[in-house]
Amino acid sequence: MALSRRDLLKISTILAASTAFGSEHSKKDDDIKKSVSSYGVQNAPLPKPKGPRVVIVGGGWSGLAVAKYLKKFSPKTDVVLIEKRSVFISCPLSNLWLVDLIDLQFLTHDYLQASQNNGYIYFNATVYDIDRVSKKVFTNEGVVSYDYLVLAPGIDYDYEEWTKGDVELETKLRGFYPAGFIPGSEHFTLKRKIEEFEEGNFVLTVPGGNYRCLPAPYERASLIAWYMKKEGIKGKVVLIDENPDITIKKDGFSSAFNELYKEYIEYLPGSKITGIDLDKKRVVTDMGDEIDFTDASFYPRIRGSKLLEVAGVAKDSAFNKKEADIDPFTYQSKEDPYIYCAGDVRPMGFSKSGNTANSEGHLVAKIIASIIDGKEFKWDSPITVCYSAVSGEPIRAISVNAKYAYDKKKKAFTFKDASTMENWKGRQGIMSGKGLLEWAKGMYRDMFM
Amino acid sequence: MERRSFFKICAKGTLLIAVSPYFIEGYLKADDGRLFKSFNRVKLLDCYGNPLKEDILQEETTYVFNYPYASTPCFLIKLSEPATKEIRLRDEEGNEYMWKGGVGKDKKVVAYSAICPHQLAHPNPNESFIGYIPKEKKSMAYKKGGVIVCASHLSAFDPKMGAKVLAGPAKEPMASIVLDVDEDGVFWANAVLGPAKFFDYFKSFKPELKEFYKNIRKAKKLVSLGAVVKPLEIYSKEVVIY
Repeated sequence: MALSRRDLLKISTILAASTAFGSEHSKKDDDIKKSVSSYGVQNAPLPKPKGPRVVIVGGGWSGLAVAKYLKKFSPKTDVVLIEKRSVFISCPLSNLWLVDLIDLQFLTHDYLQASQNNGYIYFNATVYDIDRVSKKVFTNEGVVSYDYLVLAPGIDYDYEEWTKGDVELETKLRGFYPAGFIPGSEHFTLKRKIEEFEEGNFVLTVPGGNYRCLPAPYERASLIAWYMKKEGIKGKVVLIDENPDITIKKDGFSSAFNELYKEYIEYLPGSKITGIDLDKKRVVTDMGDEIDFTDASFYPRIRGSKLLEVAGVAKDSAFNKKEADIDPFTYQSKEDPYIYCAGDVRPMGFSKSGNTANSEGHLVAKIIASIIDGKEFKWDSPITVCYSAVSGEPIRAISVNAKYAYDKKKKAFTFKDASTMENWKGRQGIMSGKGLLEWAKGMYRDMFM
Repeated sequence: MERRSFFKICAKGTLLIAVSPYFIEGYLKADDGRLFKSFNRVKLLDCYGNPLKEDILQEETTYVFNYPYASTPCFLIKLSEPATKEIRLRDEEGNEYMWKGGVGKDKKVVAYSAICPHQLAHPNPNESFIGYIPKEKKSMAYKKGGVIVCASHLSAFDPKMGAKVLAGPAKEPMASIVLDVDEDGVFWANAVLGPAKFFDYFKSFKPELKEFYKNIRKAKKLVSLGAVVKPLEIYSKEVVIY
């Protein structure tokens, strides 16, 4: 390629600038700010603990419950909750907000309120390293020492199956077609996509493995379809499901797909995505389908948060990569007895739902309080109470209620006392819709009041 | 001594005598305000303001009255069979207390604070997600009827047994209301036994209480004299239990 005179001029300007910078650089080398690690990091500005200090990393549905109930069960314990977000946004019920059935205020909550009400410290910082020898957590706001550490950092996405290591594609998927299962900007983008959608296919995906919130992709498909129908949008949701069938509340969702959204949802079960072409906006599946889309939200497989690897307590589980390597009954790390892991990083096949994480938070709080106070504790099953909306105005919902039991032969947990309510029609469906909102309000009370 | 505090003491003195048959032998840290607290002795009234007697109560119907505060709802239920006597119960922290049983002719009448000990769902003038499921019915929360169910997170409690937890996420029983029946057959509420959630309730529902009771002070006013007992369907516009 020939360079034009204008290009040459540009280059020479840049060269001149960098030379100038270079010389200055060499002059004042000692004055330039070095990395934090070469200085030694300051301690975080926190008061001296008055009792054993438990540091909880991650203020989600389990971390908030651990913090509150640990302080309640063992008042002498000094509890610090480290959370990188300054505002809590609820992932449960966010599908209703995407289509304007609830407002954003319903989903957002105040970490300071939670800590004020429950006597622990909320420390707004991001953890980047953990030293298990000196028992220190390194954050961008300084170092926090711990006696016990609870890691409840939640999930991360695992794009590997789709991208085969192509980080350019992964970055585009994360940036332009976010999954919308880690609340914040992903959800705002998704909401904008839905509001601005004019016509064509809106692609959603259901990943394999034990992904976060089993019914959510089906609920999201239903509610986007409901919105399209209500707004008279000439489009449909194409739901590409890696699983052979709807993974939970099948009767409820399939009857809603068939009876309410026949024109608005195309459900493709047992379909693995083998190619994503973002320039052509086309997805190819192993079933031979080629789907052109106007817009999309790609939900990839999930994995445990990378913080587990930083701490050296991660291991591939039967379902997902890099989840917590813990004793399933005590939540204690197999690597380090002073570390506990809770919430969606758990390797057990529990439903990765808000209710499960919250009830597990209560249990983990009890376990750690018992250890600190030298008492006995008894394992108790987490509980999965989970409502899904299938339509709005009025909100109609279906639900599942289950506990878990350990099957010694299979060496795995299975559902126990599970029951579902999958009839969204009539008064029952509307009552469940009200139950859905009431459920969430109770959960927020539990975490923040 | 001020006249005011003298009256207070008088009131308290009478009260202790009134509830003494229900006193809990040795299981309570005496009146520590957590597991047992005496409040005003309050006469229960029917919807017309007449003293409430057992014969007007229908079996297996959920009734509601506000006690001990103006805004704290309680259930009154006449069961289809006598309640079990002397049930030992524990709160979430493991403190033990004893529930003495039902009152009335066949010891079938029981009363509990209607604030769910799990996450505080309760009947309000608009709706209720919590109530009694008759014996022949069942619910999503529990395989059998004859239980109090909170549909919000699907906990079930046994009203025959001091409202101990049968299923769901609740970790402690519903608090019970200590009732007695006087020689005229009239029901009185005296005290609250078990893990009452009033403090958390007032803290959590400030906006709602303002809406229903004008201000938080009115919501926190102690009930004196009488408490009107209404069927749940009348107390709340809508009952959402499944």
